Amino acid sequence: MKATVWTAAVMLGISIAVVIAVVPQFGVMHQEEAIKKGAGVTAVKPLSDYFPGLKGTAGDTEVYWLDSGQAGGTVVILGGTHPNEPSGLITAVMLIENARPAKGRLIVIPRANASGFTHTDYSEGSPQRFSLPTPAGERWFRFGSRATNPIHQWPDPDIYVHPSGQRLSGSETRNLNRAYPGRPDGNLTEQDAYGIVQLIRAEKADIAIDLHEASPEYPVINAMVAHDRAMEIAATAVIELQLDGIEIGLEPSPKSLRGLSHREWGDATETLAILVESANPAQGRLRGATSAELVVSGEDQMYARAAKLGRLFVPFEGKGIPLSVRVARHMATIKELIRTFSEITPDRAIELNGVPSYADMVKQGIGSFL
Amino acid sequence: MMTLIYRLLVVLVTLLVVLELFSQKDLKSQATAALVLIPFVLRALMIA
Repeated sequence: MKATVWTAAVMLGISIAVVIAVVPQFGVMHQEEAIKKGAGVTAVKPLSDYFPGLKGTAGDTEVYWLDSGQAGGTVVILGGTHPNEPSGLITAVMLIENARPAKGRLIVIPRANASGFTHTDYSEGSPQRFSLPTPAGERWFRFGSRATNPIHQWPDPDIYVHPSGQRLSGSETRNLNRAYPGRPDGNLTEQDAYGIVQLIRAEKADIAIDLHEASPEYPVINAMVAHDRAMEIAATAVIELQLDGIEIGLEPSPKSLRGLSHREWGDATETLAILVESANPAQGRLRGATSAELVVSGEDQMYARAAKLGRLFVPFEGKGIPLSVRVARHMATIKELIRTFSEITPDRAIELNGVPSYADMVKQGIGSFL
Repeated sequence: MMTLIYRLLVVLVTLLVVLELFSQKDLKSQATAALVLIPFVLRALMIA
């Protein structure tokens, strides 16, 4: 068949039809998952309260306050710095919906990079959502991208130059965990980072914890990365967790790697900055098809094989590394860090009730607490 | 400002691809142009 103006018009029509057909699918990622305000929540504020430049932008995000009303310390918890690391979001949501502080305050940002939740990473074949069974039925959450959505911050430079002078790949300009301490006149991701640092500073957070996941073949996995001043409580917490049967490592925050929360929060504020990693097969390079089932179950044949060959830095047996275990690890780590801090500084103690135990989360599944 | 300039560039390239689509004498090339058009339109409309 010969190409003519009419065949071109038909092809153009098909292109337009495809665009119209896929628009709703992209729109799905802009629907926010529901987060219920638990009995401990005393206020919900936008991050733009701490940096008005974020108001009305895709970088503004909800901050949940759980204030006991009793004197004590303040903990800031971040989930969703990387929206393709679901245990951070789910741990933050579980705290919001279950924690009841009896002393001190908990400030939780479940979707630190709100823009990152509005898209998925190209060429990764990621699901847009995953579901967890709960007593009230299936509950869905978005599985987003590691970085800010390029429609909110674009174009990427060839090289991302951090204010410290550090040079990284240009795409890292949309990585919130390379943007700290942020800049009020920077790009959207840097402004997001700036807002979070302003919050930590304004609220005089005693501890600030950034929840993450990483590939099972990544060496810094099932570990904490602690700022210099946070090493004491982190080291004590690691020992206690290991005595409880939760294997976890500790790495010092490298001074030469800039832009990350564990370095910059500690340098820019008085907080004890700690980043926590768990192992997520759904974001690793060895995985098979990236399905919602893989996100939740953590079961993958390729990783099981890699484990047998000794290529992983974490155990990977039988049932893989389910999301319930990853969330349980984060929750146990948060509880132990708070407990250790409260023991060392009793005048700034923080006491949390209502938070499920590691054993309960692993046995009953995290859906039971959502 | 930079984002506005890039959006204008995307719209310009989109129009050029449409012109290319209609000037091609080969069905395969027309199909290729039509396929390339899709992400450009989505980016011009700030959908993806």
